[in-house]
Amino acid sequence: MANLTPREILDRVRDLAQRSGAAEAEAYLEIVNFTEARVRQGEVEFLSQSAVQGLGVRVFVDRKVGFSYTTDLRPNVMDELVRRTIALAGQNAPRDENRLPDEQLPALPDLEIYDAAVAAMRPADLIALARKTEDQAFAADKRIQATRHAHAGVAVGEVHFTNTFAPYQTYRTTTCSLGVTAIATDGTVKREGGFDDRRRIFLDLNTPERIGRRAAERAAARLGGATIATTNAPVIFEADAAASFLAGLLPALNATNVIEQRSFLAGKPNRQVASPLVTIVDDGLLRRGLGTHPFDGEGVQHRRTVVIERGVLVKFLHTATTARRMNVRMTGNAVRSYDTLPAVGPTNFYLQAGASTLDKMVSETPRGLLVTELAGFGIDTVSGEYSQQVAGRWIEKGVLGASVEGVTVAGRLDEMLLGIDAVGKDLEYRSAIASPSIRFRQLTIAGS
Amino acid sequence: MSIDEPISRRVFLHRGALASAAALAAAVIPGVPWIPGSGDADAAIMGIGQELRDVLNFETCNRILTEALARGGTFADLFAEQRFTTKIALDDGKIESVTYGYPRGAGVRVDRRQQTGYAFSDEVSFNALLDAARVASAIVENQSPVTPIDLTRRDVAPAFMLSSPAPLMNETTKFDFVRRLDAAARAVDPRIVSVRVEYTDDVRDILIATSDGSYYLDRQYLVNISCTPIAVEGAERRSGFGSLGGRVDEPYFSRRSPEDVAREAAEQALVLLQAGPAPAGAMPVVIGPGWGGVLIHEALGHALEGDGIRRGTSVLTGKLGTQIGSPLLRVVDDARVPFGRGSYSIDDEGTLGQRTVLVDRGILQSYLLDRQSASILGGKSTGNGRRASYRNRPLPRMSNTFIDRGASDPTSLLSGIKKGFYAAMLGGGTVETTSGNFNFAVREGYWIEDGKITRPARGAVLIGNSLETLRRLEGVGNDLYIEPARGTCGKDGQMIPVGVGQPTVRFSAITVGGTAI
Repeated sequence: MANLTPREILDRVRDLAQRSGAAEAEAYLEIVNFTEARVRQGEVEFLSQSAVQGLGVRVFVDRKVGFSYTTDLRPNVMDELVRRTIALAGQNAPRDENRLPDEQLPALPDLEIYDAAVAAMRPADLIALARKTEDQAFAADKRIQATRHAHAGVAVGEVHFTNTFAPYQTYRTTTCSLGVTAIATDGTVKREGGFDDRRRIFLDLNTPERIGRRAAERAAARLGGATIATTNAPVIFEADAAASFLAGLLPALNATNVIEQRSFLAGKPNRQVASPLVTIVDDGLLRRGLGTHPFDGEGVQHRRTVVIERGVLVKFLHTATTARRMNVRMTGNAVRSYDTLPAVGPTNFYLQAGASTLDKMVSETPRGLLVTELAGFGIDTVSGEYSQQVAGRWIEKGVLGASVEGVTVAGRLDEMLLGIDAVGKDLEYRSAIASPSIRFRQLTIAGS
Repeated sequence: MSIDEPISRRVFLHRGALASAAALAAAVIPGVPWIPGSGDADAAIMGIGQELRDVLNFETCNRILTEALARGGTFADLFAEQRFTTKIALDDGKIESVTYGYPRGAGVRVDRRQQTGYAFSDEVSFNALLDAARVASAIVENQSPVTPIDLTRRDVAPAFMLSSPAPLMNETTKFDFVRRLDAAARAVDPRIVSVRVEYTDDVRDILIATSDGSYYLDRQYLVNISCTPIAVEGAERRSGFGSLGGRVDEPYFSRRSPEDVAREAAEQALVLLQAGPAPAGAMPVVIGPGWGGVLIHEALGHALEGDGIRRGTSVLTGKLGTQIGSPLLRVVDDARVPFGRGSYSIDDEGTLGQRTVLVDRGILQSYLLDRQSASILGGKSTGNGRRASYRNRPLPRMSNTFIDRGASDPTSLLSGIKKGFYAAMLGGGTVETTSGNFNFAVREGYWIEDGKITRPARGAVLIGNSLETLRRLEGVGNDLYIEPARGTCGKDGQMIPVGVGQPTVRFSAITVGGTAI
């Protein structure tokens, strides 16, 4: 704890694990200082400021995996947990591939994931930003008479890492976020619309003006929404909805799920699984990216991995263990926190920008649906089925018409991906998973 | 050290007070956590929240609360927590990993009417929490100090008693359960190509000290085992799901056999291999008992939570005493359901868990309140102030929420439906409380044709609007079941265990999000 440095804590538990029977050991310490402010109707409604500190220790005993985590960094607590984990791991099944990666990390250019301006922000700065954002939402449209809240936050993180093969390493990150959920009313009903932004670098953040205005526009656009008759039609997903859909596809590209037969994309490598307009990339080295780090959760260098290239499935996302099990190269996609085992996950995961624009897609659509919001669950990446609640605008003769809600869109993922017939230019990295707007040739829209 | 006697059961420890107990075991190390194992002797020695109490006694708590209210405020509390979790993950026939978790910390909350300040520390020490109190109090500006009332230890009336809590089973038994589920699921059919089993348990000690003078200690046990088999035939691939657990005793597992759960999950995956497209559009829908209660959790429960009511953002604001649903509708939130996953003796801000009738004969009777929403709306907390951990402030949340028993024979609810949809098992759902628009996924569904359940249907979501849908309830079965094993509710980033339940229910129209027009 306070009298040990992070490096001393890590070296100590790693050495103890190795002395206590672990052939290999890995220690990961995460410290995050964060501040969050929420403002509603101009009043500070919530203010929180704290530090998270947690340690995770992974051990390999005869090719069996044990893991423990704690927020209690008293040395004897850590020691006891590690000893017990080693004893418990003995009951597992061995697997030859259960070993630490032993890759050497090359020197990296500055990834620009730390901004001193973010680290220097104080509660008063955040309150001012949130107030301004909420004010802008109110100013944008007189039908906005309330918000759920406007929020502003910063997080300043440190990761400290070591394992049996890798010397101690560390990196720092910053994250700042700003957003508002506006509530529009026409006197009888209320509808929400939100707009959020998260960035590593303060100057990358959208302005309170744009965030407030976009949230207000979204909320107001939903007023008067009604269901429509059940039909088949082309469906456009606006960028944020497309990003949410893309996030839902991730489990199908996770090598662990592929190995365990729980992905509809298992057995499809090198096949055309999507339209040639679709290229999907995971890039852990994207400068200023929210998913960018110098190395992943088990010390493997992040890299840029093309997952789907012009519609062809090229590569799944891997940890060191899954890469060994499938006999392919690692992709540096072990994602974790101190309290989870490294597991396959995305870094910066995005669908590459295309040539179209949202306006063009709408004007090309004689009759269809523009989806601006997705709600709830919908993607089954095992069976490859899709069905989800959506809201948006009806398109008639290439023109946006009435607000639509109370409908679902559904289809089979294989047909949907192959049927993407337009990809927009509007890719924006407001979260670690991002997409431009896309259009599906045809989905089933269920309503009345 | 044999496999039957893992070390974790023998070693317990804590600092200070029990120096004489140290003589019992050479391995005792001061400051090392008590780790659950079989036999509750360790627990008896330790006492609930002992390690937290050593630091957070009446005097230190009082000083922390005094600091929290030094700039004013209407209420403050200190919440400390120490958990021990065990996870065992099996995949592809092998136990892949085991995890021990030991999160521990405390948080201070300061309320002033609609405002809340919160700060926590992962280190449980007087100085760290005094700092947290100072930070949390920053929400209040330029008010007069408020003096907290001197603390008194209050009893926690147990919601139910456990004689042999499942998380204290020895680890060999836990490993056995995991292997038994895997073997039973695989044995059903060669088309079951893969099975994932996850065992998770949790022993949670909490300490709550409030500025209105109460000091509470409680221990909560929770266990869950889930089983996800995959069936493959040709190009079709389907998953099944089954789970067991709750706040249960070891004998629960002889009443609810792991093998039965695994078989049911495998059979579900096999049935779904034969599924055709689900219908699309609005139609009569019948939802099976138990986990089907996800509907009422989404369609009603969230909109009744006091934070949305006090802010006026919920669609049910101001509807108390009015008809919001069919006269057949009676809904209860009950934190004292025996063994329920959403049960607790005391909530996370020091109010005893209770049974609250939310809706009776379709008329709204009560909101779900925490202290803050109760103080603003008038009235008392309904014991629904819950938090995911010491890192979070409490929010009004559900416990076990269910549609109460009705009069109909469940099979009679199908009669007269020419074309409709039967949801045998649901997945998860969400709701937007401002509009009342909700959705929930169906994991196992069937067509209803001419009053009979016929073909299985592929996955689909069902959607509706709270106020419209609750009026369309037209049949309630007599087969109430409250699902004790599964249910994790997320709100504002906080995930907490909840229970849901219902008898078989029928709605005249819900939109089914399939593809068959």
